Amino acid sequence: MALIIEDLHKRFGTVQALDGVSFAVEPGEVFGFLGANGAGKTTTMRIVLGLMKPDGGSITWGGRPAHQWPRRTWGYMPEERGLYGKMLVIDQLVHFASLYGIARARARAEALEWLARFRIADKAKSRLETLSKGNQQKVQYIATILHGPDVLLMDEPFVGLDPVNVAMLKAAFLEMRDRGRTLVFSTHQLDQAEELCDSVAVIDHGRMVTSGTTLDVRRSTGHQVVRVATANEDRHWLERLPGVTITRDGVDYAEVRVADGVSPQRVLEAAIANGPVLRFEVADPSLEEVFVERVGALQDDERTLAAAGVGS
Amino acid sequence: MSRTANIVAIARREFMIRVGTRSFLLGTALLVVGVVAMAFLPVLIGKIDSVDATKLAVSAPEPSVAARATTTISTLLNPEPSGQSGAPTGSAQPDFEVAVVSDLTAARADVLRGAYSGVLGITRGQDGSLQFTYYSNDSASGRTPSLLRQAANAIAVGDRLDRLAIPAGQQATLFAPAAFVVNWADPARTDPVLSGASAAGQDMLAFGMTILIFMIVIMYGNWVAMSVVEEKSSRVMEVVLNAATPFQLLAGKVLGVGFVAFIQYAAVVVAGIAALVAQPAISSAVLGSGGPAAGLTQGLTPALLLLFGAFGLLGFLLYASLYAAAGSLVSRQEDVNAVVMPMTLISTAGYLIGVYASMGLLDARSTWVTALSFIPFLSPFMMLGRVSTGVAEPWEVALSLLLLAAAIGVAIWVAARIYAVGVLLYGQRPGARAVWRLLREGM
Repeated sequence: MALIIEDLHKRFGTVQALDGVSFAVEPGEVFGFLGANGAGKTTTMRIVLGLMKPDGGSITWGGRPAHQWPRRTWGYMPEERGLYGKMLVIDQLVHFASLYGIARARARAEALEWLARFRIADKAKSRLETLSKGNQQKVQYIATILHGPDVLLMDEPFVGLDPVNVAMLKAAFLEMRDRGRTLVFSTHQLDQAEELCDSVAVIDHGRMVTSGTTLDVRRSTGHQVVRVATANEDRHWLERLPGVTITRDGVDYAEVRVADGVSPQRVLEAAIANGPVLRFEVADPSLEEVFVERVGALQDDERTLAAAGVGS
Repeated sequence: MSRTANIVAIARREFMIRVGTRSFLLGTALLVVGVVAMAFLPVLIGKIDSVDATKLAVSAPEPSVAARATTTISTLLNPEPSGQSGAPTGSAQPDFEVAVVSDLTAARADVLRGAYSGVLGITRGQDGSLQFTYYSNDSASGRTPSLLRQAANAIAVGDRLDRLAIPAGQQATLFAPAAFVVNWADPARTDPVLSGASAAGQDMLAFGMTILIFMIVIMYGNWVAMSVVEEKSSRVMEVVLNAATPFQLLAGKVLGVGFVAFIQYAAVVVAGIAALVAQPAISSAVLGSGGPAAGLTQGLTPALLLLFGAFGLLGFLLYASLYAAAGSLVSRQEDVNAVVMPMTLISTAGYLIGVYASMGLLDARSTWVTALSFIPFLSPFMMLGRVSTGVAEPWEVALSLLLLAAAIGVAIWVAARIYAVGVLLYGQRPGARAVWRLLREGM
C-alpha cells in the first residue's frame, strides 16, 4: 500500500517539465516534495491526481494504477485558493463533499466540527470572500479532507500563513497522519519539511535529485555539522582548523561543516584549548544545507515570489 | 461516485447560487411585467385610439343627402370589429363621428378652431350631380381624405340611383358586397387561410418567441461561459476536477443554468398566456365588446407553444455547451466576450434573418432562407417564423429538430474535449489552430 511514482515524463511545447521523476511514499507517512519554483512539483501532483496525462511513466497506489481508485481516495489542495468566493463557507464545503458521494447532512455536520476546531465556526454562514487569507486556507484544508481521502496531496500549504495558522495547520496535518492517512505536500520552506516529514524527495528542473527518509537524505552528503560556542568570542582558532568550514558565524554560536573523515572530536579539543566551552553539538546537516549543496541556493527573488504565492 | 449524481450536484450548485439572488428575482419580475405589458399593448392602443375619434362635419343641400352621407361615412370609415362581421358595433367607440351642420362658413371656422378635424361640403351642381369639397387644416395626402373620397363616390352613386328612381330595396341589392375569398397559391395546401387578425396574431407571437429564444441563447449562454471562467480564474476548477470529470462539470453547468432559464421563462410564458387569455375579457371591459386584439389569443396554439419550447430548449443546449467550451479557453473574465464572439455572431445572424423573413423584409419562401432554416445553429431562430407564416411543412419542422438534436450530440462531444484540456490551460488565449490541435490530440 505505497504510492509509487515511476519515471514520469511530461513536455509542454519545448519545455521538458518532468524528466524521469520517481519516488515512493510509504502509507501513513508525511512526505515532503521539495524543489524550487518551476522544478515540476505542481505538474507531478496534477499528474498523480489524473488532472493531466503524463507523456510516460506510471503511478500506483497499493499496487493498482492510481486512476483505478475511486476519486474519494484522493484529496487535493492546490497552491492557490480554489474556492467559490461568493458562496457561503458551509455551502461549498457540503458541495465539495457531495461530489465525492458524501451525504449532505453528514458532510454538513463534519464540516461544522472542523470549522469549530479551526475556531472559525462563526464564519460558516459567511461568504468565503469576506474571510481573511488564513481563514480561507483553513476552509480549503477542510474541503480537502472532508471526504476522508486516503492520500492527501497539498501544494505549498503553508504559503502566506501567519505563524499561529501555520501551527494550527501543522497540528491538523499530524492528526490526519495519526488517523492513518498518507500526506504528501510540496514546499520550498525546508525547515518545515524537516520538522514534519518522515521522508522527502528533492526535484530540480524536472529531474530527481534525491529521495528517501529525511534522516537518510540529511546524511547523504557524508559530512557532519558541529555547533560550538566558547566564552572567548574570538573564533580565529576555528578558521585555522583543517577540514572545517564555517557555515554560520553567529553571535550566539558558530556552525561548521566537518569534512568527511575528519572527527568532530578534533573541533571539541580545539574549543577546549581556546577557553571554556559553552556549547558543543554534533548533528546531521539540515535539509537546507543538503539542498544548497545538491541543487544550489534558492534565489532570493524565488523565495519572495513563492511567499507571495506566485509560480508553480 | 456515479456520473449522474455528480452532474446533479454540480447543476444544483449552479441553480442555487443564481435563483434566490436579488438580481434574479428582479430580472424575472421585469421580464414578466414586460411580457404582460406587451400582451396588453393592443388593448391600450385601442383605448387611446377610441378616445381620439375624428369628428367630421357634413353640410348638405337637402336632409336626405345629409342622412345618406352620415350613414355612408359612418359605415365605410368605421371598420367592423374583427370576427363578427355584420354585427352591430355595439358600444364600441367609432373612429369617426359625423355631425350635420347647416352653415358651411361657420363649420369651416369651427375646423380652424379645432372643433372638427374637417368639414365635407356637399353642393348640387347645375346638372343635378353632387359636388364634394373637403375643408381641412391638413394637406390632401392623409388617410381621411382618401377614405372620404371613397365615401363621396358611394354617396354620389346612391344619389344618382335616387334620381333614376331606383327603389331603396333594389339599391341595397346593388350595393351588396361581392363574394371575395383569399386562397393559397399552392394547390396542395389545405390548411385554412387565417383571417387577417388571427394570422397577424400568430405572426406576432412567433416574432415574440423568436426574440425570447435569442435572449435565452445569448444571456444564459454567457452565464455558462462566465461560470466556467470564474471557476478557472479562482482555481476552484482544480479542486472540482479532482472529484468530477470535465464532462460532468460541463453537463452540470449547462443543465443547472438551463434550469434557471427554464424557471425564468416558464414564469414569463405562463404570465404571457394568462395575459392573452384574459385579454378579450379585459378588452371588452375597457373598450366595450369586440375589442381589436382577439387575434393573439387565437394564434396561440398548443403546437406553436410546443415548438417554442422545443427550439428554445435545443437551441440553448447547443449554444450553451459551446459557450462552456469557449469559456474554458480563457482565464480572465475580460476575455470572455472575445472568445464567445463566434457564437454571438452566428446566433445574431440567424435571429436577424429569421426576423426579417417573418416580417416580410426577406422572402420566406426563397431557397436560401429555406435552406438556412435547416442549419442547426440557425433553425431555433428561423423555424418558428416559417411555421407561423405557414411556409414550413410538418416534415420540415421535424427534420430541422432532428438535425438540431444531432448537432447537440456533436457539440457536446467537441465541447467536452475542448473543456477537458482548456480548463487547465492558463495564460495566453489559444488561437484557432491551437484549439484544433487540442481537439485532435486530447489531453
